[in-house]
Amino acid sequence: MKTLMMKTTAAALAAGLLASAALTSANAETLKFISWQVDEAGMGDWWRSAIAKFEAEHPGVTIEFTKVDRANYADTMTTLFAGGQPPHIVHLASFEYQNFAENGWMENLDPWLENDGIDMTGWAGQGTCVWNGETACIMLLYFGFMMAYNPDILAEAGVGVPTNFEEFLAAARATTKDLNGDGITDQFGTGHETKGGAGQYLTEMLNYVLDAGAYWTDKDGNVTIDTPEMVEGLTRWKTVYNEGLTPRDMSAGEIRKLFADGKVALRLDGPWLYNTMKQGAAADILKVTVPATSPPVGGSSNVIGMATDISDDQKQLVWDFIKITMSPEFQRAYATVGGNTPPSPTADVSGVEEQVPHFQIIVDTQKAAAAAGVDRIPTGLEVQYGEFGKMVQEEVQRMLIENLDPADVVKVIQARAEEIQGG
Amino acid sequence: MSVRIDGDPGGAGSTTRIRLFDLARPSRQHILGYILLAPAVLMVILIIAYPLFISFDLSLQDVKLPRIGETRKPFTFKNYQKLFNSSEFWMTCWVTVKLVSAVTAGSVIIGVSTALLVNHRFRGRTVARIAMALPWAVPEVIAVVIFAWIFDSSFGLMSWLFIKLGLTDQMIAWVSTPGPAFWALTVTMVWKGFPFVSIMTLAGLQSIPPDYYAAARVDGANALQRFRWITIPCLMPVLGVTLVLVMLWVFRDFSIIKVLTEGGPLKTTQTLSIMTYDQAFGFFKFGYASAVGIVTLVICVLASLAMIGRQSRAMY
Repeated sequence: MKTLMMKTTAAALAAGLLASAALTSANAETLKFISWQVDEAGMGDWWRSAIAKFEAEHPGVTIEFTKVDRANYADTMTTLFAGGQPPHIVHLASFEYQNFAENGWMENLDPWLENDGIDMTGWAGQGTCVWNGETACIMLLYFGFMMAYNPDILAEAGVGVPTNFEEFLAAARATTKDLNGDGITDQFGTGHETKGGAGQYLTEMLNYVLDAGAYWTDKDGNVTIDTPEMVEGLTRWKTVYNEGLTPRDMSAGEIRKLFADGKVALRLDGPWLYNTMKQGAAADILKVTVPATSPPVGGSSNVIGMATDISDDQKQLVWDFIKITMSPEFQRAYATVGGNTPPSPTADVSGVEEQVPHFQIIVDTQKAAAAAGVDRIPTGLEVQYGEFGKMVQEEVQRMLIENLDPADVVKVIQARAEEIQGG
Repeated sequence: MSVRIDGDPGGAGSTTRIRLFDLARPSRQHILGYILLAPAVLMVILIIAYPLFISFDLSLQDVKLPRIGETRKPFTFKNYQKLFNSSEFWMTCWVTVKLVSAVTAGSVIIGVSTALLVNHRFRGRTVARIAMALPWAVPEVIAVVIFAWIFDSSFGLMSWLFIKLGLTDQMIAWVSTPGPAFWALTVTMVWKGFPFVSIMTLAGLQSIPPDYYAAARVDGANALQRFRWITIPCLMPVLGVTLVLVMLWVFRDFSIIKVLTEGGPLKTTQTLSIMTYDQAFGFFKFGYASAVGIVTLVICVLASLAMIGRQSRAMY
């Protein structure tokens, strides 16, 4: 009898445990979310606060927030998607999502937006997220460049804050110096990334190209590189590089650090520069104003979406998370915590100047870039952007190394761009 | 399990039972060998042969972004045709050959020299041996970051040194000028690669019987003759294998080139491995990238076979 009792108790216990385990696994859900912004000052905090809110609203559901370096991001995401193991929440740069959407790996968000009655009118940069007539993602950031400067260096050189390219060039020339006479320049007029990925290289060049009135393609996707304006844009880039007004072979991160430490007089960059500026040796003296080049470089930066290959329940959870990031509360926090211009047209950004003193400047440049229809990703070359960017970078490098005439270079780039576009 | 064999000649019409799985029988020992090897072979098939097959299959399809389980695209030689007609591919092959030759030669010369040095007895030999092996222990990416700073075009130590020595009057753009970029890369790879040659050579040197040298001395051979006729031939089997391993390492290496030059400027440091990566993950052309990968594999196998065959016969 005793044995029977013991066996019955054990069986009941085992059944209870099994039932409990089954119940837990039914309720417990972990959403995979990979991003390069996990450790970024400002943006990392913004994401974590959105995750905390989501988890509080969805007991038993957790978001696994994993960092992958930007340098390895495209490789990792491609491998995960190709292997049939995509992250549930998809975070991509706005110039790389197109290849994933083209393959049908990104969920069409139109029905989700429609179900919740969300109107995306006026949402900055959202047009970039429309692929093959469907909304493949939600734009997280559409930015406008600002110009940060070191007033002490400018004052010492006897130049004012530049307001156009000619003044910018003159100021850069006046402030590029070998301070200790050892034959090595240790203070630069400006700073551009000339090493690394083609995307950033093209973005840096775009400051001069746009100011000269040129762009890679027109709004219909026709390649428009072989123009006098583009010749002027490339000539300006060549001047800045050849005269040594920028440090050579440095990444954008290294340039930002140099600027923050007071070794560079002028830097044209996005709103994210401010977070680096605050940490540099010259943090107390650096200032921000509107760029000397016009229209300002701007455009879409990164997007959020969901993978098609997940269950309907998971899609609902991912959509709930996306909605949190789009909510007025988090759109405001995008400015206050992230230091960026929120894409929502209705975002309440009042009082943000207290935390980000130059906030109105980046709002204005965002609007100016949007009004001029500026984006880093040329229309008609979205899917081939990687190959196009690499080709332009190489031809421009060839121009610098072999001292070629920009008028000849634009012809080569035009022909090769058309070849790439034609597949 | 057993089988019955009728008409057994030794049994005069009797029936003999033969145990098929009697692995103790000398004639069945090879089966035991196969069984023991099976897990390793299966693992190799799983992690090497299967991806290789997938890669080969992809190279015969016009595919941009593949996905496991998707319907196969039509068979085509388009990727190989495009590859062999591409000037970029032939330039990349040439760069790869140049880099493999320069790095292998540099690593072998410095590696053998340092091994010969630390093979002698002298005060501080242990420290010298540790110092010799140190670059090998430094993770590749960290080593490259160090060299990236040394060869920095604006503030780098190397340019500063060149200016101080009066070799130039301005900073050298090491990684954005074709010639200097190639040599900066070669120096970095030799620094990372020579300790392996040193260690292998040192092991080879210590296995040469001292009697050989004693006999040569009796015959009146000087140091150079002893090196030429004893050390070199005795080292050849070790050096042959080492040479192949170093060569394959340079062929396959990705991280040093990616971090230091990214294959630039103007593709002058782009090797086949960088080209494969760019085509796959930069331009999302997986079919074409697979074709580059397969051709690289074929070149590696042929080069290895040629080297191993030649060097292993070199001792006597």
